[in-house]
This record gives sequence, C-alpha cells and structure tokens, in this order.
Amino acid sequence: MFHRILFNLIQVATVMAFAPLVSGVTTRCKEIIQSKQGPGIFQPYRDIWKLFHKDEVVSDRSSWIFRFTPYLVFVTPIFVTLLIPVLTDYPLFFAFMGDMLGGGFVLSLGGFFATLAAIDTANPYGPVGASRTRMVGFLAEPVFMIVFFTVSFVAGSTIPYIVQQRWVTPLANFFEPSHVLLMLAFLMLILAEGGRLPVDNPTGHFELAMIDESKSLEYSGRGMALVKWGGHMKLFVLLCVFLNVLVMPWGLAHEQTLGAVLLAIPLVLFKILIFVLVLVVIESSLAKLRLFRIAEFLGAAFITSVAAMITRVFAT
Amino acid sequence: MNLILVPALPLAAALVSVLPLGRRVAPTVTVLAGSAALVLAVLDALHVVADHSLVAIAGWVELDGFAALLLLLNAFLGFTAALYSWGYMAAHEADAGRMRSYFAHFNLFVFSLVLVPVLGQPAFVWIAIEFTSLFSVLLVAFDNTRSALEAAWKYIALMFMGAAIALLGFFVLFWAQQAAGGGHYSWSGLRVVAPQMPLVLVFAAFLLILVGLGTKVGFVPMHTWLPDAHSQAPAPVCALLSGIKTTNSLYVVLRLAALLPIASVLPWLRVVGLISVGVAAFLLLQVRDYKRLFAYSTVEHMGIVCVGAGVGGPGGMLGAMAQIVSHSVTKSFCFYAAGATLLAVGTREIASVRGLIRTSPVAGAALLFGALAIGGAPPFAVFLSEFSIFRAGLEQGQFLVTALLVALITVAFFGILMHVNRMVFGAPPDSGSAERHALPTTCLVALIIAAIPVLVLGVYQPVSLHALLSLAASNLAPSPAP
Amino acid sequence: MIAWLQNLNALTGGLFLLVTFGLVAVRQTQGCVRLFVALSVLLGVSAFFLSAIYQTWHLIVIGVVDIVTKAIVIPWLLHRSLHDEVITRREVTQVLNIPTALLIALALAIVAYLLSQPLLAVGGGAAIGVNLPIGLAGVLIGGLTAAVRREAVPLFLGLLAMENSAFFAGIGIAPEMPLIAEISIAFDVLILVLVVSVLTRTVHEHIGTTEVGALTVLREDPTR
Repeated sequence: MFHRILFNLIQVATVMAFAPLVSGVTTRCKEIIQSKQGPGIFQPYRDIWKLFHKDEVVSDRSSWIFRFTPYLVFVTPIFVTLLIPVLTDYPLFFAFMGDMLGGGFVLSLGGFFATLAAIDTANPYGPVGASRTRMVGFLAEPVFMIVFFTVSFVAGSTIPYIVQQRWVTPLANFFEPSHVLLMLAFLMLILAEGGRLPVDNPTGHFELAMIDESKSLEYSGRGMALVKWGGHMKLFVLLCVFLNVLVMPWGLAHEQTLGAVLLAIPLVLFKILIFVLVLVVIESSLAKLRLFRIAEFLGAAFITSVAAMITRVFAT
Repeated sequence: MNLILVPALPLAAALVSVLPLGRRVAPTVTVLAGSAALVLAVLDALHVVADHSLVAIAGWVELDGFAALLLLLNAFLGFTAALYSWGYMAAHEADAGRMRSYFAHFNLFVFSLVLVPVLGQPAFVWIAIEFTSLFSVLLVAFDNTRSALEAAWKYIALMFMGAAIALLGFFVLFWAQQAAGGGHYSWSGLRVVAPQMPLVLVFAAFLLILVGLGTKVGFVPMHTWLPDAHSQAPAPVCALLSGIKTTNSLYVVLRLAALLPIASVLPWLRVVGLISVGVAAFLLLQVRDYKRLFAYSTVEHMGIVCVGAGVGGPGGMLGAMAQIVSHSVTKSFCFYAAGATLLAVGTREIASVRGLIRTSPVAGAALLFGALAIGGAPPFAVFLSEFSIFRAGLEQGQFLVTALLVALITVAFFGILMHVNRMVFGAPPDSGSAERHALPTTCLVALIIAAIPVLVLGVYQPVSLHALLSLAASNLAPSPAP
Repeated sequence: MIAWLQNLNALTGGLFLLVTFGLVAVRQTQGCVRLFVALSVLLGVSAFFLSAIYQTWHLIVIGVVDIVTKAIVIPWLLHRSLHDEVITRREVTQVLNIPTALLIALALAIVAYLLSQPLLAVGGGAAIGVNLPIGLAGVLIGGLTAAVRREAVPLFLGLLAMENSAFFAGIGIAPEMPLIAEISIAFDVLILVLVVSVLTRTVHEHIGTTEVGALTVLREDPTR
C-alpha cells in the first residue's frame, strides 16, 4: 500500500514537472516549422518562476471568485491525474474515486470557474472570450459523452485502467472500426478543448479573436503563474488520457516496482513528443475556423463518434 | 441470329449518322434501320408465339412471350418515331451538325430501348435501362432553352438516383438466388428457384427495385421529372419516352413481382397503381402545357397497368398486357399529334391555342382523335384494354379497387377532353407572332401509320397478337406459394 | 488471419461511412471531388480484403477496375470537361445548413442499420454484416446529398456516391456475380459522367451558372 501511495505521488509530480516542458516543446516545434527560431524549450519554467516573484494586482471590483479560481484551475488537473493511467497500467490508490466521466466533470469544473472569473472583472474582453469558450464547451459536450459511452460500451467499464486493458491484449482489437473512429473524434475534441488550431490560436494576441486565452487576461503575479501552469497541466492530462488509453496503450509500467515506474516516465514523454509533432503539423497546416464554423467542426466530431458507436453497437 | 441483329441495326445507324455525309443521309439511314428492325422484330414475335421462346445465347440473349411483346412495341415505336423525326427535324432544324447529332443520339436511344427486352440477365438489363436514360438526356436538352436544360438536369438526377437504388436491389436478388441454391442469374433461372428464395430477401429486392425503377416508370411520388422531361423534348423523342421507355422499366418491375408469392405482392401493385392514377388524374386538371397533359396521362396509364397486374388472376394480367400495347401505340400517336400542333401554332401553351381545327385541320383532328383515344373512349384500343381490366377486377372480387379506378379514369378523361376541346374548337385567335410551319409529309405518314393500330385494336385483336398477349401473361403468372 | 481481414474490412467500412458523412458536410467543390476519390479508393480496398476473405479473384479485378475508373478517370474527366471556375468554386450552397443535414444523415445511417437486421438474419458471406448496412446507409445519405445541394457538381458527386455505396453493399452480398456484369456497370458509370459533364457544360454556357437548384421554371403554378 505504501508503494501505491508513493507511485501516486510520483505520478502527480511527473505531471506537475513536465507539463510546462511539453508546452515549451510544442511552441518551439511550431516556430521551427514556420522557419523561425522560437524560445527555448524551458521558457515556460522561466515564465512561471518569474511570475511567482512578481506582485499581484487585483481589481477591487472583483469578488472571491477571481481570487479563488487560480487555485482551482491549478488543482483540478491534479485531481484528474489521480484517476487516469499516466505511468502504470494497474489502478493506483485513488483510481476508483472517479471514472472518466468524473474526470471530465472535474476538468469542466475548472473551466467553469475560469469562465466566471473572466466575467468577474470589469474587463470587456473577458466576457467575450468566456461566452465563446462556453459555446465551444457545450458543443463539445455531446462528443465527450458519446466517446465515453462508446469506449465504456466496448470495454465494459468506465474506469480508464480497465478500458486500457481492452485495447492492449488482442492486437486485432486495435484496428476495430469503432476504435479508429473514436481516436479521430477524440483528436478533434482535444483540438477544441485544448484551445489549439483550428478552433483557437493559442499564441494570438488579438483580444477580439481570443477564445481560451482571454480567461487569463486579468491575472498577474502568482495568480497568473497558477493559471498558466494549470493550463499546461490540463493539456498534459488530456494527452495522457488520449495516448495512454486510446492510441498507444503500451509502454506503461506493468510490475509494481519503483524501477518500472521510473522507467515509464521517459516512455510516456516520448509518446507525448510524437503526438506533439503530429499536433504541430496539424496546427501549421490549418487556418483558424470562423466562429460559427466551429459548430460544423464539432458536428463532424459528433458524427464521427456516433459512427463509431453505430459500427460497434450494430456489429454482428 | 436475327435476335442479335435487332439491336445491332440501330447501333450501326448511329455510327453512320455521325459521319458528315450530307443532310439526307442520317434520317434515311435511321428510317431504313428502323424498318428493318421492325420486320425482324415481327418475325421474332411470330417465332415466339409458335415456339414459346427464342434463344440466341442461352441465359444471356433470349426472348420469352413478355419480352417478345415488348420487343415488338419497341421496334414499332422506333420505326414510326424515326419516320416522324425525318420531317420534324427537317422543319425545325437548319444546322446540319445538330441534325446529325440528333439522329446519332436517336439511334443510340432506340438501340438501348431494343436492348432491354432482348437481354436475359438482370444486371445487363439494368445496364440497358441506364443506357436508355443516358442516351435520352441530351435529346431532352436538345432545344438548349432554359426550361429544356432544367428538365434534362432533373431527369438525369432522378434517373440515376433510382438506378443506384435498383442496383442494390439487383444485388440483393442475386444474394437471394444464391441462398436458394444458385443457378443461372437470368429471368428463366430466377423463375425456377423462385419458391425457395428466402422471402425477406426477395421482398427487399422487390421493394428496392419498385422504388428505384419505379422512379423511371413514373410512379407517384417519384414522378416529378416526368412532366418536365416528356414535355421539353422534341415530339418524336417524347413519343418514345412516354410510349415505350417507361414501359420498359415497368417490364422489369413486373418480372420481379412475378417472383414473389401472390398474396404479398398484389396489394403493393394495386396500391402503387391507384395512387399514381389518382394523383395524375387530378394533376391533369390544371396543366397549362398540352405536352405536359399527355405526360401526366402517361403516369396515369402506368398506374392502370400496375392495377391490372395487381388485380390478379389470368384476366388481370392479360388486361395489363393489352393495356401496355394500347397505351404505347396510342401515346405515341398523341405525341405525334402534339408535335404537329406545335409545328402549326408554335407555342406549347394551351391558353394560346384556339380553333386549331380551322388553323390546321390535320393537327386539330389528330389531337382530338388522340385525346379521345388516350382518355379511353370507344372504339379505340385503350377502351378495350381498360374494360378488360375492369372486368378482371370484378371477377376477382376487387370491387373497391375497380370502382376507384373507374372514377379516377373518368376524372382523367374529363380533364384531357376539357383541355383539348378548348384547343381544338372555338374561334382561332388573330395571327400570333409565334412561328408556324406546314406539316411535313413524313410526319403525316407517321401519324397515319401510328393511327392504324389505335383504330384496329379497338375493334379487332389479331389471333397472333392475342396468342402473344396470353403467352406474356402466363410468363408473369406468380410462382405458387412455398 | 480471417479475423484480421474482417477487422480491416470493418475498418474500411467505418471509414467509408465517415467519408459519406463528409460528402454532406464539405463546403467546397474541390473537397467533394477529393472525398469522392477517397470513397472509391476505400471501395477498392474493401474489394481486395473481401477477395481474400471469400477466396475469389473476381473481386480483385473489380477493385482494380473501380479504382482506375472512379479514382483516376472520373476526376480527370471532370477537370477536363468543365470550366475551371466550376471546379474551384469555394462556397457551395445548400438547401439545409450543414449541421442539420449531418443530423439527418446520422438518422439515415441508423435507419439503414435497422433495416439491414432482418436481411442479415438470413445469413450469407462472412462480411455482409459490414458491407450491407454501410452500403445501404451510403445509398440513403448519397440521396440526401443529391437532394440538398444546389450546385451541379456536388449534386452529381452525391449521385455517384450512391452508386459507389450500392456497389459496396454488392461486393459483400453478391461476390459471385458474373464479372462481366460488374465491369460493364463500371463502364456505364463512366459514360454517365461523360454525358453529365456535357450537360453541365451546356448548362453553364447557356445559363451562366451551374447552380441548378435555381432552375425552377417548370411548375404547375395556378397563379402564373
């Protein structure tokens, strides 16, 4: 039991430590593809360090929500880390505290408070971005639901660890049509929820066009550091769910020794690196969608996930 | 061997028509090919009456009674339409290139029409029916006016939609035959294994083909392309389209229906037929274009044939066969008359035409004659065939169906006569600005040739024709229930 | 081995269904043409898998013929015979907006699956469970595409997709159909494309636009 608690802590520490690295690598790769130099891959760490040492300026028109949100945004991905397979393929201590749906709700709790905080200040761009984020959110909800339902239908459970077993063991299962279609739908979902192109431009500075970035416009100092770090961790967690459960469920620690768990860390990072390359190619080749076309994009994701469900439910 | 010659002749004529040999060559070659094909078709039909079938390549190119009947009709209509086209195109069209293009397409169209009954393999029959649609599209669009192009576009879109659905139906039919133990995939082979085919599959195939090919027949609610296409095309093409092309598709539907047990398929045929007759009869009442009038009448008659087949019993099927014959010859005559009217007055609108009998006696008389014939008045052919359907209906105890059919046919008769009456009688308007042509001789000859069966079959049915009709009806007798 | 092939065939079928949905959703003519090429390639690939499952060489020939005619020749014909402006037109108008059309397409797919259940109960080859419902769904969704599009080329590609889907179902349920019939069907489609492209070109020349949904002159209008 002591081992399990230790592995849980290592898991959380991995997510906290390496999430900014993944963001840094993504930015650097994108800049290189666009023939620029780009910042170093450790720049997010320096940014967070710098922000922790700055003063915070808080509007006196804001309420407790504004002050409370950065902590929430920071903590919710950590909660979700406890539920999903990051390093091990056997369930750890808190694994049965919530299933995938629970994890999704926890993440959206963070998003909900971030939206409220954006409206809380008197900044006009905050509510603009908040309403757009909510639109993308509710359009993505049905896709989330259908993907989770189909995955659970296939695997017979909603706990991610058990789901992951199903794709690993008979290799032929990997090529089932429902699986491939689910991967496609979930990829579109990550693009939407993570605020990547073609839904939203994460490096844009034009406030009128921001969707996800606008929620951190008003923060400064420690609050900003926590919001940024929380954003990096949210993307990392989504990627872990996607890669470790659906796409590449191999390379996780199987034995219950410390060495196996520590070995799993570079393997997971390697998987994420491969996906980051794919993500960068997607982002560099698509233009940002016009706002009302996002409904069509997510509609296509919805159709893909329902097609996955149909081919699974009606398969003879 | 001459069975293969019958479609080969129009194909050869098409190839010759493309060559730039002179203005008279293409029409002459077409008429010659048409007459030769007609003679061969008559010989084949007589052969089938004597021997009950004619086989050129077993399982692929063969004729039985129903197919021989249809081949005869196809060839006859091809011949009269070729004759009519000669004069019509000479009056209408000045450009030699367009004339050649018209006759090339015309010959290809006749080739594909003749191909449908001759082939014995269902997949090839599908291809032949597709060809009939394809080769007629550019004929429908021949005038290059906005409405002609619209009609052609609607035509090809709906035709192909129906064809894709029917293709699926043919695949399911093949599956059904395999499930019943295999055998050659031809009409004769299918009839042999029909009782063992799983009912679900055959029924699914029938429904798919009913919807798919029903689009080509013009069953309501898939008929929307029919009035447009059949009115915008040049008159001889309209005659072929209405007279025999829709019947070709109905041929396939009836063949499919014969594979199912009686009790399950007859109600479908009756219902589909009655709906078509009803909707067409009421839509007839408010047309503004006299060619569309005759097009709606085609929808109605296809429905009548379906009801005749659906009434059941030997009498019903015989009546349906007779109706097919009488409708083909009469409808082609009606469209020839309509073409003559168009040449005489230059407009398609009913409201602009008055006193036709004074302006152009031939056109007026032909139009009146045709309207009476197609409406079902005695002593024309359609009256006899409709009457035999009514009688069969009463014999089989289908009182409601027969009563509805009588009522709807009366409504249609009233509608047609109302419009034609207004056109033919009355005082002619002061000279309009529309172009008028004199009626060419060949058109007149074609009119007379087409009128002969309409009159003759109304009072007398030749013995061989009756034998052919009975043979056709027996070919379609539904298989006994498993 | 058969299980692997069946899984791969099922995967091809899933992608086929997805591409059919894409045909309803895509906004550009160029995208429609590309999706149609993808559809034909998937049909050929499925034919290859099925030929291995059913052990018949017919399907290999059909796969090759299909890929050559539909994925190579037809797009080439379309590009050659139509004006460039028709093919490169970007925004395609529709009668319904895209999300609604997608939802209807989804409903049609579910209907197709439900309708296939009694047919599949009869039994047949090993892959009919995949090909028949997806083919039927493709036919229905292709019909929807042809009904809602106003532009000539995407409408026509919807019709061709219907025929592709009918074929997709056909190779699963009737693999033994005489080869010559299926090859003739493929060439028949080719002739269709020729005829329709001539017609579209004529429409473009005489009317000035290929938005055939705007041609609504022929009607029974009592008020006119």
